[in-house]
Amino acid sequence: MIQLMLIVHGVLAVFLLGAITHQAFAVARVRPTAPAQTVVDRFRGVHSPAFTNAIVLLFCLTFVLGGLLYPRYRIDVRPMLEDMQLRAANGMFESKEHFAAVGLGLLPAYWLFWRLPLRREYTDSRKYVTWILAFVVWWNFLVGEVLNNIRGLFP
Amino acid sequence: MSTAHFKVFSILFGVTYMAMFFYSERTAGQALFRYYPALGGFYRESQPMETAGPPILWYSWLAGAFVASVVLSLIVPRSWAERMPDSWVWIVGTAMLIAILVYERRWFY
Repeated sequence: MIQLMLIVHGVLAVFLLGAITHQAFAVARVRPTAPAQTVVDRFRGVHSPAFTNAIVLLFCLTFVLGGLLYPRYRIDVRPMLEDMQLRAANGMFESKEHFAAVGLGLLPAYWLFWRLPLRREYTDSRKYVTWILAFVVWWNFLVGEVLNNIRGLFP
Repeated sequence: MSTAHFKVFSILFGVTYMAMFFYSERTAGQALFRYYPALGGFYRESQPMETAGPPILWYSWLAGAFVASVVLSLIVPRSWAERMPDSWVWIVGTAMLIAILVYERRWFY
């Protein structure tokens, strides 16, 4: 069961990563003038408000699954990291849990800033909150992957 | 609660979460409640390490921050919430992330 939860947690994180990265790139675009020519232009040229509800839902689901997996980490993984003298790995996990909490708290405002019709006065806040969430999601994804594979990375 | 209160909630949640975390750090593990994975239960009081194993305080910080933020958001009048600059959301959010990175650097030395 725990393995299945871990896999689903990882898969949801990948979906979330894709959605928030699209939106973070799209919101950085100052003014779309010409039709998209390059891969980057097309990547940024998505209708970014369409991702908002999916991102909120995916963040919450990934968060809940992470919360359910936490006890197993505390009993099995953390003592192993301490035995292996991997203090930095423990620190990375600590930052992951705090970042996830801060990201969760930002979701209501994020949803408000992206609510249609998009309000001009929210332009800057919409961009910065999206970038914060993108940073949190990327950081937590990479930390999770490193910790998940740590025995292979540090045999 | 109006949608303007969402901004207030987002600002307060990060701050109250970090306040509860730092309080636990400074008081050697004081928290609203603890979850003991080895026992599979929530407890108000600290349990012996030998029999209960290590506790998880994270759930307590989250629950405390959620309740405090909802209550405080509801107290704030709607006119105040609407006047509150929306830039505070990302400024406070960024400040919380920086505070986390600064505090957690202790693990890397």
